[in-house]
Amino acid sequence: MKLRIAAVLTAVFVLPLLVRPAIATEIWIFAIFGLGANLLIGYTGLLSFGQATFFGSAAYVAGYVLKYYGLSVFAALGIGIGVGAVSAAAVGYLCVQRSGIYFIMLTFALNQLFYFVAYQWTSVTGGEDGMPGIPRPVIAGLDFKSPLLYYAFVSALFLASLWAMQRLVGSPLGKILQAIRENELRAAAVGYDVARFKLLAFVIAGAFSGLAGVLYAMLFGIVPLEAISFVFSGNVVFATLIGGSGSLYGPVIGAVVFIWLSESVSVLWERWPLLLGVAFVIVVLFLRGGVVEAWSRFIAWRMRWRSSKRAA
Amino acid sequence: MALLETRGLSKSFGALAAVDNVSLAVQPGTLHSIIGPNGAGKTTFFNLLTGTFAPTAGDIFFDQKRITGTPAHRVAHLGIARSFQRTNVFPALSLLDNVWVAAFARRPSWSGLLWRRAERYPELVERARQALADVGLAEKSHHLARAISHGEQRQLELAIALAASPRVLLLDEPAAGLSPEESRRMVALVRTLKGRYTIVLIEHKMDIIMSVSDRISVMHFGRLIAEGSPSEIQRNPEVRRAYLGGVAA
Repeated sequence: MKLRIAAVLTAVFVLPLLVRPAIATEIWIFAIFGLGANLLIGYTGLLSFGQATFFGSAAYVAGYVLKYYGLSVFAALGIGIGVGAVSAAAVGYLCVQRSGIYFIMLTFALNQLFYFVAYQWTSVTGGEDGMPGIPRPVIAGLDFKSPLLYYAFVSALFLASLWAMQRLVGSPLGKILQAIRENELRAAAVGYDVARFKLLAFVIAGAFSGLAGVLYAMLFGIVPLEAISFVFSGNVVFATLIGGSGSLYGPVIGAVVFIWLSESVSVLWERWPLLLGVAFVIVVLFLRGGVVEAWSRFIAWRMRWRSSKRAA
Repeated sequence: MALLETRGLSKSFGALAAVDNVSLAVQPGTLHSIIGPNGAGKTTFFNLLTGTFAPTAGDIFFDQKRITGTPAHRVAHLGIARSFQRTNVFPALSLLDNVWVAAFARRPSWSGLLWRRAERYPELVERARQALADVGLAEKSHHLARAISHGEQRQLELAIALAASPRVLLLDEPAAGLSPEESRRMVALVRTLKGRYTIVLIEHKMDIIMSVSDRISVMHFGRLIAEGSPSEIQRNPEVRRAYLGGVAA
């Protein structure tokens, strides 16, 4: 446990030395996004292909109020979290009525619905051009235009999100959601209203997505249309699965791998998504627990290897 | 006064009357068995009692209150817990978590749902451990449910029901698919529960039924054809014809 906290803190401090601060910032934003998605995918067993709905909605709404009303950062974050949660409540309410493939298709279809609203409503969202001119406000005399300062701010929020998620998955709710993932029928038989708990998971995941959405809008100063597109929804599912769904740190590792690949390798090699595809196939076929499982297998292997050497 | 009672309870699936006008009263503290050939409607009857299905006609009373049509998750809160005929546990959770989740559900208040650590509910952890101990799985509390044997999973199945501190325990063929040895252990286990809980038991194996039951109801093609003490049931000619054949004469 302590080792993991140390590893995360080290990563937070070292990352901006390795990559540009903007990319480092994007990584932790994507990690917050992934933490929420993982609550649905990994812990509740709900494969939502519509997480960008909440991310994008929050980014647009918070971006709009930041741009036209000059709100403080914290008000914007609050609004983003609220929009994420409320939109997730609406979408989730419809989706949890169904399961399996129908559930997945519903999350996807509703994502498309939101996407086309953003696409058509050009007077507000800017349509395909995106919504530019979103400021990073000043708080307590600190100007977040400095990339490193903004990185520090996002890192702090990421650590807070990680802590909150760690409390959530260790709470009764975390166990109940896992029980629902494992066996819905039995979960209902012991006394849980399965649909309502799934909805709660949606709302929490939506709040995390909303937070990530606002931070994303402030990072780039623009909300691109793709922030609410299904591609973005797919990306967070990819990142979560590659990192390791159902483990707390999985989506964090996934975010590092995914954003780093997309930002660094894409410069060198235009067809980098191929690499991602291969990684995805490997995970699905051999490594359901993603990077996290690979690591624990490696540790187990090393221990066996050492003990066999000692025996020899 | 009956603790659990049905009046004219019926359930049809299309033209099939799976449960047909069943009126049955379970007295508190007793072990009441329901027997009948395969397809007699026993499990469907349980599904009606627990709210998994809504009945087509008739009523269910628990503790004198009408509970007909109450959904499954709320029936559990009333204090009716069931075990399933097919093993129905939470495979990737530890045994302790399997029963802990059931114990938490019955807690009157869900305070701390979102933030308190699961270990910080000492009374629940205690009850969960007790339920595991009751079925003889105390030492395996940290194993995953999918990693234990089938016989042990059947015991866990029972522990999940016990963890809810039920007022009525509905057991659906607890010895289904067990070896003779495991089956004997399960019978011994059910015997230890007798008297502590009001139990409704569905079972196929006649030796189990005859030795543990206080009262027996016999179902045949969805209908109740006889009810009585074990010896009365053994003597009943209609039951012999429908179910026992000439074998148990």
